Amino acid sequence: MAPKKKEEPKPVAPVAPPEPARPNTPEFDPTSVTLEFTPEQIEDFKDSFQLFDRTPANEMKITYAQCGDLIRALGQNPTNAEIMHVLGKPKPEDMQTKMLDFDQFLPIHQHICKSKNRGTYEDFVEGLRVFDKEGNGSVMGAELRHVLATLGEKMREDEVEQLMQNQEDPNGCINYEAFVKYIMGS
Amino acid sequence: MGCGVTKSNQFNKHSGKAIRAAVLIQRWYRQYVARTEMRRRYTWHIFQSIEYSGEQAQIKLYNFLGYLMDNFTPSSNERNLISHIFRENEVCRDAEWERYFCYKNIEVPEIYSGPHLFFPLTVEQAVGLVEAFRNKKQLHSRYVLQLLAETWKLFRMMPNINRISTCQSKEITICGDLHGQLEDLLLIFYKNGMPSLEKPYLFNGDFVDRGKDSIEILIILFSFMLVYPSEVYLNRGNHEDHIVNLRYGFTKEVLTKYKLHGKRILKLLQKIFSWLPLATVIDQKVLVLHGGISDTTDLGVLTRVDRHNYVSALRPPKKRHISSTGTSIDSDDDVWGKSFQRRASLIYPKPLGTRDSFHSRSLQDFSDRIKGNSEDDLEVRRRRQSVFINRSTEKETTLTVSTESVSSDNAKEEWKQILDLLWSDPMSQDGCVPNEVRGGGCYWGPDVTEDFLNRHNLQLIIRSHECKQEGYEFCHNRKVLTLFSASNYYDVGSNRGAYVKLGPDLVPYMIQYQATSMTRELTVRQRVGRTERSALKVLREQLFAHKSDLICAFKKLDSNNTGLVSLNEWATAVESVMHLGLPWRMMRGQLVTCKTSDGTVDYNEWFNELAIKGPNTDHIDQSLLETLYRHRSTLETIFRIVDTDNSGFITIEDFRQTWKLLSVYLKMEITDEAISDLSVTIDRNKDGSIDIDEFMEAFRLTDKKSRLERGRSMFMGTAPDLTKLDEEPNI
Repeated sequence: MAPKKKEEPKPVAPVAPPEPARPNTPEFDPTSVTLEFTPEQIEDFKDSFQLFDRTPANEMKITYAQCGDLIRALGQNPTNAEIMHVLGKPKPEDMQTKMLDFDQFLPIHQHICKSKNRGTYEDFVEGLRVFDKEGNGSVMGAELRHVLATLGEKMREDEVEQLMQNQEDPNGCINYEAFVKYIMGS
Repeated sequence: MGCGVTKSNQFNKHSGKAIRAAVLIQRWYRQYVARTEMRRRYTWHIFQSIEYSGEQAQIKLYNFLGYLMDNFTPSSNERNLISHIFRENEVCRDAEWERYFCYKNIEVPEIYSGPHLFFPLTVEQAVGLVEAFRNKKQLHSRYVLQLLAETWKLFRMMPNINRISTCQSKEITICGDLHGQLEDLLLIFYKNGMPSLEKPYLFNGDFVDRGKDSIEILIILFSFMLVYPSEVYLNRGNHEDHIVNLRYGFTKEVLTKYKLHGKRILKLLQKIFSWLPLATVIDQKVLVLHGGISDTTDLGVLTRVDRHNYVSALRPPKKRHISSTGTSIDSDDDVWGKSFQRRASLIYPKPLGTRDSFHSRSLQDFSDRIKGNSEDDLEVRRRRQSVFINRSTEKETTLTVSTESVSSDNAKEEWKQILDLLWSDPMSQDGCVPNEVRGGGCYWGPDVTEDFLNRHNLQLIIRSHECKQEGYEFCHNRKVLTLFSASNYYDVGSNRGAYVKLGPDLVPYMIQYQATSMTRELTVRQRVGRTERSALKVLREQLFAHKSDLICAFKKLDSNNTGLVSLNEWATAVESVMHLGLPWRMMRGQLVTCKTSDGTVDYNEWFNELAIKGPNTDHIDQSLLETLYRHRSTLETIFRIVDTDNSGFITIEDFRQTWKLLSVYLKMEITDEAISDLSVTIDRNKDGSIDIDEFMEAFRLTDKKSRLERGRSMFMGTAPDLTKLDEEPNI
């Protein structure tokens, strides 16, 4: 029942839901990345990196699993697929065990920062408009929940709940421009 | 559009778009979660740093006072001011105690509308007390004293370590720190039911301090214990200690609620606290105690100690003499005399001297006989998680122990056992090191847990003592469970509370809750936002209180005297003064709003931006004022010590003396004139005495921006001071 996609390569994993645009990319090579951060920015990243460091001896290392969260905490919003890509497509069991130090982290972060595929407010609103059946500026909360849990990089039920908490009006509708402002305003 | 297009068709048609849209939302959501988690984490750090700083400050103060006792001549003014807290209760013999407990001459007036108690207590009365307190009634002091007398009798019969069993299908409910938060206890009873023959309970210490209903909690717990002595158990916590209570609010609460008999109630509670059992073992397999263990903890020793000798865990035990009549008398002598040389660190030979060592003056005194080393002056503080690393440069100091025998060694050993039990915290690294963040007890590692459990043939340690966001947390391969039952501890929405149910299978089952209904309606982001604002407010007050040192640090970096520093320099300077190990750069956005366009900070302007306002104090010396803000809590504690009759007032002369004491402690110049200015401000009715509460209120910092209600948060009450680390008196 694979729906049509435009520039989709073959699905990466056998039963994976279709993922949006990323043409066949070669493996990520950290050495090919030129760092363009200012020294001030690097100090900032160090602070945050340290906050994530849970090693008992404070070795300035984080696990692969934390990498995505750190990049997001610093203001980027990559997809999970992009994260896996820059980490070199690690196996699931590696996520909790393999570690990154700060120098290894920087090129990864730089690469994500340079990505043009950020998503603006307009993209977002456009995206939600897809679900606006009546063209009246609102979407059905229930439908949105369904979509978020079944399409794309699926969210868990509790994650969906957290996102949508207090967003629906008494009729179960969400004004999506307000919703987008809310999400982006974190 | 709904016009003949089915749902699945619609998806097919827009599926590419739909998926892209979904992914976009999901990406943003994941970013939002990560950022929220980050904020929550550093907010937690702020509160925890400040909390532990306060505890540390308390121990330092206590040590300082002890030092004064040792070193000032008996007739000196300063010594007289404080000697009474080191003197054990004058009433020594047990028989005399009974008389002191006597409540019979206290009349209960007709207009009293609170509960009446008739002994022996029944369960209806205990339940009635819960209801009465829910309805904000207060128990009359006569009944309080009567209750305490009965409680004391019961505790005296208990061993140091209670051994209980979950026989048949009885599950035992275990609760952690309550800290005077009655709402949480009521919530636990509501969810879980009150104690009964079928419903045994164990309360794991820290019933008092910080929250505003500590005495009510004690009354309820004691009542249920009297009604069901085999089903309700209490362990002692580090806050069941009158020295700690002086700072953290319990003393004040009792004196405020019981103006006439408060002092007596407090004295009796001192006694009762010392009789609280130290630990409980369930089915010989699960150990429940308040703080934790160390690598020397020995249940055998703990079983044998005379626990009631340790009225405060912060003090070495008193000498006990056996009188000729065979009854034991508590020695009233100078406790610090021969048998206990406090000239060297009593517990730990030495401060940790690494770059990571937090300020390393735990239960040490300041005598110049201690061999300091340069690392003592290193004032780098790591964040809590990373305090315990790298012991490589640890050195030994000479321990000048008294030449008096075994008995004093034994006493010391026993004292350490109890101290460790009440104050220790687990760490993730192996080993066992002094807990210098708090100033007492140890940090112990997974290897110590493993060894301890094996030695004593146990399988699990349940402890409390640390606030956890989810109300509980496992560590050490799930062999140690931390349980905390005071929800919203740092602020509304900061954390949940939890209690544990343990059945015969000894598998702990956790139930979480959060007291204020308000928080249920808040989203996660709103809750995090609230707590964050609260933490930042406290932080801004502290920054303001360190203004002169901060300006000094900024000036050092601003060699051209431009009044500007870069953002990086700002962060470095702030950490060098505040020593909180916080991620200043990350919080920069909320703390600095006056950046210039090229990313520099006008540091003078910044203090205005902090929007903290002091009282109208133009005539008062600025540095004195700053001292006041910074050391509020310490100052208030000293006042309460000096106020020997617990009236809430001290004389101008004592006020002066107190400041002199503080100036020695802080190594500051405080002129008589400056003190006079202060006292004049506050002795409005010119009757020669000062109302302590009024004084502290008058010099509170207020946040111009804040619209937060003054809730139960301890940070909104007495602003805790961050005693500067380099202000050890080097006398």
